[in-house]
Amino acid sequence: MSRGRGPWVATLALLPPEAAIGAAFLLLIPLISLHRVTDFMIFCIFVLSFDLLYGYMGRLSFGHLLFLGTGAYSAGLFIKYASPNPLLGVLAGILGAGLLGVLLGPAAVRATGACFALMNLAFNHIGFFLVLSPLRAVTNGEDGFGIRARALWLFDPAGKTSMFLLVLGSLLLVFYLLRRLTASPFGILIRSIKEDETRVRFLGYNTHLFKWLTYVIAGTLAGLAGTLGALNYSFVNPNVMDVQGNVGVVFACLIGGAGSLYGALAGGVAYMLISNFLAIYIQRWEIFLGLSLLVIVFRFRRGLWGSVQSTLEYARRFEEVRRPVAGEGA
Amino acid sequence: MLAVKDLDVAYGYARVLHDVSFRLEQGHMAFVIGRNGAGKTTLLKTLIGLLRPRRGSVSYQGQEISGVPPEELYSRGMRYVGQEKRVFANLTVRENIEIPAYASREPLGQALARVTAIHPKLGSLLDQKAGQLSGGQRQILLVGRALVGDPKLLLIDEPTQGLAAVVIDEVARILRGLRGRVSALIVEQNLAVVRHLADRVYILSEGKIVREISDPSEIADTRGMEAYL
Repeated sequence: MSRGRGPWVATLALLPPEAAIGAAFLLLIPLISLHRVTDFMIFCIFVLSFDLLYGYMGRLSFGHLLFLGTGAYSAGLFIKYASPNPLLGVLAGILGAGLLGVLLGPAAVRATGACFALMNLAFNHIGFFLVLSPLRAVTNGEDGFGIRARALWLFDPAGKTSMFLLVLGSLLLVFYLLRRLTASPFGILIRSIKEDETRVRFLGYNTHLFKWLTYVIAGTLAGLAGTLGALNYSFVNPNVMDVQGNVGVVFACLIGGAGSLYGALAGGVAYMLISNFLAIYIQRWEIFLGLSLLVIVFRFRRGLWGSVQSTLEYARRFEEVRRPVAGEGA
Repeated sequence: MLAVKDLDVAYGYARVLHDVSFRLEQGHMAFVIGRNGAGKTTLLKTLIGLLRPRRGSVSYQGQEISGVPPEELYSRGMRYVGQEKRVFANLTVRENIEIPAYASREPLGQALARVTAIHPKLGSLLDQKAGQLSGGQRQILLVGRALVGDPKLLLIDEPTQGLAAVVIDEVARILRGLRGRVSALIVEQNLAVVRHLADRVYILSEGKIVREISDPSEIADTRGMEAYL
């Protein structure tokens, strides 16, 4: 079985996947920059939250950025007006987004398909224009506002290393929690809702309740991503919830492979690499993004991660077929 | 157990069921037969609350259940197995059984044992995606899944439709094992299955129950029923 593989492979296999993910992001630092890797990881948290809603529960939202923006604004406003404590700011951001999910969820989860997607788009639009104009006195409109969180013990939000470690810890925690959640009975249930909600109701479940909970969890995690983004840039403006930004998270999820946490990470990193680096060489890099999505839709329907899994499965079966049967060739 | 009285159901202006009335006694297995389009599936869908009757009443265990949501009917012991043989294809067989086990608060081990007892081969397929099962295995999984949590009433739509002869025998054997233990209302076209299992047969034609057969000798001799298929 372990022919040609060293004992270190067996040791590595015992490590939780979070260790490999942490190591992969650490290895990225010399290739790009610490600040960019932090950015990548924040986006990955956002993609993970979206994947829970779309990949696992089958509800495509065109307005998920609303929760990211709510997290960013809640944290920013808390730090600006209430307390400069960054960790309390993070808590305020998470609570703000979560509360919004609690409020919007009952209406949103009653819809499915295009209706769900467009309803969320409408919510996102409303949120965007609220921070832009009616709440201008507090949010400073389109100019946004700076955030000055104070240092707390060894954590300095202005320091790149501190932010990197905070974001890395958050990403690994989110990944761990989602890994447990999606493997739990709750995870089985939301995956079955994706397949056939009516039938789940005939198996004794109030599906609205579970969809609402998932909506709130996804919104809360998106809020965490927004909070971390606001702290990372020490700045918030309405662009964080501009509806056009939703395209990015949908692309990332599809590129990586919807319905897989690893796919969400792969898609998040791939999208950020394309949008950060391709823009340097190609003026209209979005064309490449569109083409790559077309290739994925037609050639790699399960996304990057799904294709890797299929290849590994194919190789495993090939090896099984080639393995000599006992006694053969003697 | 189940009493249906003067049931009228329509799709828009098209009336599908007219004045349908019948009773299902505790522990009995009743079959509804009839031609395609007679309203058999519509009847089951109305009983489980998917369709709202225009008129009439459906009472289960002495209580009116029109408008009661499916999850509530489930908790009262009613189970529905549709004719589409739709398992949760992307979930494993085990996960397909886990869902009703959690809903009915039956220990998972007990639920798995209950399902694999009716068809031991499923025991070796627990970690396989349900979508990879054959049509017969899917049907058996669906029936087994419906048995989780000790149901009181099973509503099954065409359990043998599209199955190979050997699988039909297996499904019939499983249903026979349920006789007397659980009440069941089964829509079926296969008279060979009906004659061996039915305590009572209702013949549905153009939305009306035109005949009710409860005499065992009449049920065993299917010639009287063939004219209605």
